[in-house]
Amino acid sequence: MKTSMSELSANRASEWRLNPPFNARHLLIALAALLVLAVTGARMEVPRMLYETVEAVGYTVGLAEQSPVATGIKRVAESVWPLRISEETETARIENLDRNNLPWLARIEIRESREPRMNTATLQIEETVERKEVLVKPIGYLTHVLAKMLETLEMALWGTLLAVLLSIPLAYYAAANYAPNRLAYNASRSTISLFRAIPELVSALFLVLAFGFGPIAGFLALGIHGAGFLGKFYAEDIENADRNPQEALQAIGAGKVKTLWYGVLPQVLPQYIAYTLYILDRNVRMATVIGIVGAGGIGLELKGRFDMFNFGHVGTILLIIFLTVFLLDRFSARLRSRIL
Amino acid sequence: MLKFDNVTKRFPDGTEAIRKISLHVPRGQFCVVLGPSGAGKSTLLRMLNGLTRPTDGEVILDGVKLTDKTLPRLRRKVATVHQQFNLTPRLSVAFNVLSGALPQVSYWRAGIGWFPAALRAKACRLLDEVGLTPEHLPRRVSELSGGQQQRVGIARAFMMDPAVLLVDEPVASLDPRISRGILELLRRQSQQHGATVLCSLHQPELAREFGDRIVAVSRGRLVFDGAPARLTDAVCEDLYHGALNHHDPDRAEQLPAFAPALETVSA
Repeated sequence: MKTSMSELSANRASEWRLNPPFNARHLLIALAALLVLAVTGARMEVPRMLYETVEAVGYTVGLAEQSPVATGIKRVAESVWPLRISEETETARIENLDRNNLPWLARIEIRESREPRMNTATLQIEETVERKEVLVKPIGYLTHVLAKMLETLEMALWGTLLAVLLSIPLAYYAAANYAPNRLAYNASRSTISLFRAIPELVSALFLVLAFGFGPIAGFLALGIHGAGFLGKFYAEDIENADRNPQEALQAIGAGKVKTLWYGVLPQVLPQYIAYTLYILDRNVRMATVIGIVGAGGIGLELKGRFDMFNFGHVGTILLIIFLTVFLLDRFSARLRSRIL
Repeated sequence: MLKFDNVTKRFPDGTEAIRKISLHVPRGQFCVVLGPSGAGKSTLLRMLNGLTRPTDGEVILDGVKLTDKTLPRLRRKVATVHQQFNLTPRLSVAFNVLSGALPQVSYWRAGIGWFPAALRAKACRLLDEVGLTPEHLPRRVSELSGGQQQRVGIARAFMMDPAVLLVDEPVASLDPRISRGILELLRRQSQQHGATVLCSLHQPELAREFGDRIVAVSRGRLVFDGAPARLTDAVCEDLYHGALNHHDPDRAEQLPAFAPALETVSA
């Protein structure tokens, strides 16, 4: 019987078939995907995007006569440059100005400007020459933006802290192997989904109504959204952690919390730090725009300047945001490499 | 000291890992459970620390029946040394050893890692006993060699002065030269601390050398029980020859069943 078995398998080997890794079903799926891309692509005006981009490139190298995209970008670039970093205030508007003892680096200049003004009596537009005495602070606007950026960073920091604090209990109950029962598990999972489903801008909008303008609404909104993200990832790491060390502690009766602390946390700590740093990074970026709805930070300044077409100011703000995000990225990379 | 009374373990998929095993290990004995991979050795051991619960029969530890109610109390008397060491990889050697005393430490002390001085001193003493040096204390266990990791595992097992030490294939993932050292250490430590040992192995030579008593398990049945001297090469041959066929259902049918032969030996 032993020989017959091996003969049998030898016969079978010659009849083996190694099929290609795709079949008709895969072809069908590919066709369906193409169809979806074709329909959605048309709705997204992808062809126009491609045409106008090519046109803009052609215009830049001198092949095309005109390009609305290229002129648009050019106009923005021209208005952003030079960046505005100084601040001018009419001396008449400053109370108790001590002319002999001006603030650091500040100087007083006279500005002469011709401005079209509406004559309220005749309701006509008239050109008037105005002379203004202004206090010029050469880096006044820059320091203002930096102060706003600091507030933004503080919001991001507290938003991250809140996210971590909220997500720890959520993650414990949302990890299938630690949740005490099905109810706690489902409640925690749905809370996490809900938190993640509400975008920061939307929750900030409502929180501004509750807490008023200012950073409270901002960092609460960031914290809630971050908790939804961190809770999910923390929980999934707990579930995927190596079971062996946990079993060792369970076998001596260490209890769930201590097992989590000594058997799981050391294993998942690098990922936890990575997630938390990502949330911090994300919060800094979100905190810059969340101010648009009045929740503190640099966003309000950005929106105000944008609405007033002060693109020089907008340029400064964007540069500071970019530099902050860049520096934070370097910082978190160094922090990670030191801890891991 | 520890007793299996007609214990059966059936897994949900229907396989019987343990079939009606009765075994009594007296206090202070170093009892080796011998058998090929998949014979049910680990399952037998895991029923003593409650990681697996028997389907049928009773497990009695120090005169107390192991139930849901008594499990937390009994677990403190039982320590386990694992095949894969089961240490927390990124945690330091010191904390891995200290974690062996976690049930005795309050939550807040465990939380900030401030173990009582007595436990810290004990951890140092145990690490010294297993042959590690103070330089090892702050190092992550994942940086140590396999043999050193198992030494840390042994130190951890003795943190709560166990009455029973379960040793699950302590040397299965170590090379033969180191294996002997680890088993010598286990014997010495358990004698010194007065622990009763149930140690599973799959190498008959090591079982003969280190056991006070050898029980052999094959396909979930107890097929041999006796002094090391009685474990002849013929018995081992049967045990392992049979085991090879255990994984090959086509061939197992043709060979004479080895289990009855072994049962006569144990009788």
